[in-house]
Amino acid sequence: MENRINLKDGLIKQNMVFMSGMLIAPVIACATTLAKSLALCFVFSVVSFAAILLCRLIPRTIVYTVRVTLYTVAAAVFYIPAAVLAGLIFGEQVITSAGVYLPILVTNSLILSKTETRFYLEPYGNMVKDVLMFIVGFDLACAVTGILRELLASGRIGGAEVPVLFTVPALETTFGGFLFVGIGAGLFRAVYNRRKKLAEEQAHDDEDSLAEYAEDMGEFLVGKHAKNEKIRIYKAAVGKAKNENELLEMEFLSNRDVLAAFEAIVSDGQEITAPAADQTGTAEDTAESGTDEKEDSENGMVP
Amino acid sequence: MEWFLNIISAALASIFVQNMVLERALGANVLLYASRKKEHVTGFAAAIAYVTTVSAPLVWLFDTLLGGSEYYRVIMPLLYVLTIAVIYILTLVVIWRFFPKLFKSLKRYVHLSVFNCSVIGALFLCSQQGKDIFAYLGYGLGTGIGFLLAAYLLYAASARLNSPLIPAAFRGYPIMIVYVGILSLALYAFTGYSTSAL
Repeated sequence: MENRINLKDGLIKQNMVFMSGMLIAPVIACATTLAKSLALCFVFSVVSFAAILLCRLIPRTIVYTVRVTLYTVAAAVFYIPAAVLAGLIFGEQVITSAGVYLPILVTNSLILSKTETRFYLEPYGNMVKDVLMFIVGFDLACAVTGILRELLASGRIGGAEVPVLFTVPALETTFGGFLFVGIGAGLFRAVYNRRKKLAEEQAHDDEDSLAEYAEDMGEFLVGKHAKNEKIRIYKAAVGKAKNENELLEMEFLSNRDVLAAFEAIVSDGQEITAPAADQTGTAEDTAESGTDEKEDSENGMVP
Repeated sequence: MEWFLNIISAALASIFVQNMVLERALGANVLLYASRKKEHVTGFAAAIAYVTTVSAPLVWLFDTLLGGSEYYRVIMPLLYVLTIAVIYILTLVVIWRFFPKLFKSLKRYVHLSVFNCSVIGALFLCSQQGKDIFAYLGYGLGTGIGFLLAAYLLYAASARLNSPLIPAAFRGYPIMIVYVGILSLALYAFTGYSTSAL
């Protein structure tokens, strides 16, 4: 389970604003200036982090109806110090102008949905990192939205005037926020999909290279192995190496060791493991590639 | 008669002029989820209307009794969440006891329709704009109807929004948000506008 979840998901792949749309109301309606965005980020970070860390400890033997209520109550309790601190840091004027969008953060989907569907499945240490990634992902999206909307709507950043050719005052409105976030989400996804496609093509090339190498090595194998089986055995043997060049650069694993590994597999009929130093990397790489499709489905609009 | 008019005018305001989703973006993520299926549209809207309307008198009571306190602003979410939680649990217990079939169909998504920013946001807006308990009730009721309107408009367009003619990166969530933005722009006309050119 530890390796099933990619801790970087919250930053990009499942970004709460641009990818999954889990928390968009405050960004659309309230992130119109840098100051308000930062206030939102601060309250969201404090409330979500503290509430999830606490809620993760609630035993799952308690029925969900009660558990989800406890999550919200915990968030509302943590909102009290968060709001007081936000008032001291950002000033009462900013907090007042943020209106209802700060207190509604107590019912955000990161606490109510992700705690159940994701954070409960992780070991506590990993979960803390994972939660932080989701929070940073939201904060970055919110801050960037606030900066750009303030700049485009009024020609200012953080209240300071910036020379711009034109302004679009409608971006301060709610419908302007909808359009901005919608277009931003489309562009964000376009960039993400492009990078993913390139990575897949690269992986495919590497796989072909591995296949050829495995075919060359095939003469040392007794019996007939399917191409994919050879690749699997080869990968297990070379551990972290993802392609031929990388393999050759690995000083501790000579070709002779690889061949010995192949022979061991064939004679024992068992899969061997990579050298100890590389096992972590291998496991993580395998877990990431193996769960891509499954975790793509989590990118849906889960409220 | 005046109380009735208060309820109606507050409800109309919260449906058209200050629509919870289209004018304030409250519950936008729930809207995207609810608009996937027709039964979700009505189910979510009914749940939101019920909770906001039933919570409204209690919220009015809190506001009247504690509104003058210096720290009321920071404890409001806790009081409102507790109000919603009590209503949520009591209602589920009643449904579970007397309508087990209904409970079975509701339990999968009822928490999503109750614990979301449209419900708690509606209660905050009641507090900000409601003058008396009838206005609170009107806002509560109007919130659910306003959500129904927005969700149905999105549901009706969902087939076209998933058309292959739309670029792949924009299909689904991004184009739905853009569409809701256009609806929001259309509803913006109800609030009126002025321009220096006229």
